[in-house]
Amino acid sequence: MTQFGTYVNTARRSLQAHDRRYSLRQVAGRIGVEPGYLSKIERGQVAPPSEAATVRLARELDEDPDVLLALGGKVSSDLQEVIRKRPRLFAQLIRELRDAPDHAVLRIVREVRDGDW
Amino acid sequence: MITLEDDRLVFRFPEVHKDARCAIEFQRTLRIPDDGLDYPLPPGMGRFPLRHLDDYARRMPTDWLRRGGVLMPMHQAEAMWINFDCRGYPFAVKIATGKVCALTGETWMNHLNTDPQDYAVLPDQPWLDGYCVAQGIVRQFVAMPLGQGYTVEEQLTGEAQHGGLQLIAYPMKAERYEEMMASVIAGAPLPDADASPLVKSTSMGLAPGGRMRQEIYDDDYGLDAWDQRHASRCFVTIANSVQWMALTGERPPTEAPTAREYTSAGLPWFDYFGGDLTAIAETDKLRGIASVAEMGAANGESPLPENESAEVERVISLRRPGSNQVRELPADSTAAG
Repeated sequence: MTQFGTYVNTARRSLQAHDRRYSLRQVAGRIGVEPGYLSKIERGQVAPPSEAATVRLARELDEDPDVLLALGGKVSSDLQEVIRKRPRLFAQLIRELRDAPDHAVLRIVREVRDGDW
Repeated sequence: MITLEDDRLVFRFPEVHKDARCAIEFQRTLRIPDDGLDYPLPPGMGRFPLRHLDDYARRMPTDWLRRGGVLMPMHQAEAMWINFDCRGYPFAVKIATGKVCALTGETWMNHLNTDPQDYAVLPDQPWLDGYCVAQGIVRQFVAMPLGQGYTVEEQLTGEAQHGGLQLIAYPMKAERYEEMMASVIAGAPLPDADASPLVKSTSMGLAPGGRMRQEIYDDDYGLDAWDQRHASRCFVTIANSVQWMALTGERPPTEAPTAREYTSAGLPWFDYFGGDLTAIAETDKLRGIASVAEMGAANGESPLPENESAEVERVISLRRPGSNQVRELPADSTAAG
């Protein structure tokens, strides 16, 4: 199995343990792929699916699409677009944050401002 | 810290624990009939959009801007429910409308209280649909303009000052969480002030609508479990559709179908069973609030269009978290507006 396939298989089976709607066949139907294809994905016999199918699968399994895309060796197209617009700035930023701990990275994200109320 | 991600408020406390994260979103839904009957839970029809207030600072009334937080659109008499997404790290969350607690009717306080309990415990509490007016019964959150007397804020304080919705989240103490996880592993139970605002600052508030069956669960952990040194809070300003379009340039979501339309289409309502959890009781303050329809009738007004009763036949029972069951309109449905 690939890391992607293992992750998807584990997430789906964990949901299936409580809810039969998460059978391979039903999940495949809801994300618009053949059950045999999803089975091969889970067993790592084929490459991870397209970005659109990966995002549908993530939403179906209540997983973070960016995490699933990364496991499949992809970066979402909207993130690529962000980098392409200001390549030097974002390349530098990402490299500088490469080894920073999570809490340090979170410190630079935009927070919802709390005011006076 | 709170971030705005895909129309959800994501609360993180990395300074407390790496797992201390939860998300809160506001779901569009149909307005249940305000007819004195007790209904099951209505479906979710997608998230309301949320925007940083600061992004529209030049057009924003200064009293809105001062509060910070986010902006959300609602049509008059539209209903909503609050969805809590908590993957396991427990949180205590207070919810107020017009700075009046939705569980107790008391005015806003930044700390937690247990007598009566003024907060919901996550992840035990998956949703909150309204004001706790009786044990196991809430009155639905329904948007009404401030100044007409319908909102809970106006009914209980006599003033139309704040409107909107207020939230504050407290993570469980890290050491308590670690103890709990260890026992689980061991198998134990588990602004630009000079710019002229483009909109008037009269905002929307939330008022009590129809009755539905929903329990708000007692805190099994106890007050001492919560890390009250760390909290994040947010003011959600509710804009009507005209204000929303003037500020953001976006169209608000379409209005939900009526309860009767939805039910006639054979679409499901929901019930939720919290297992052995016990529900908190209502307070005297909230027991005495009048619903929008009751107040309208007393005033000779008809504030709720299309308030006919619905005969609910199809109810889906949902159980405690872990099964990823969703309380949403079926994807193949065409009944939603």
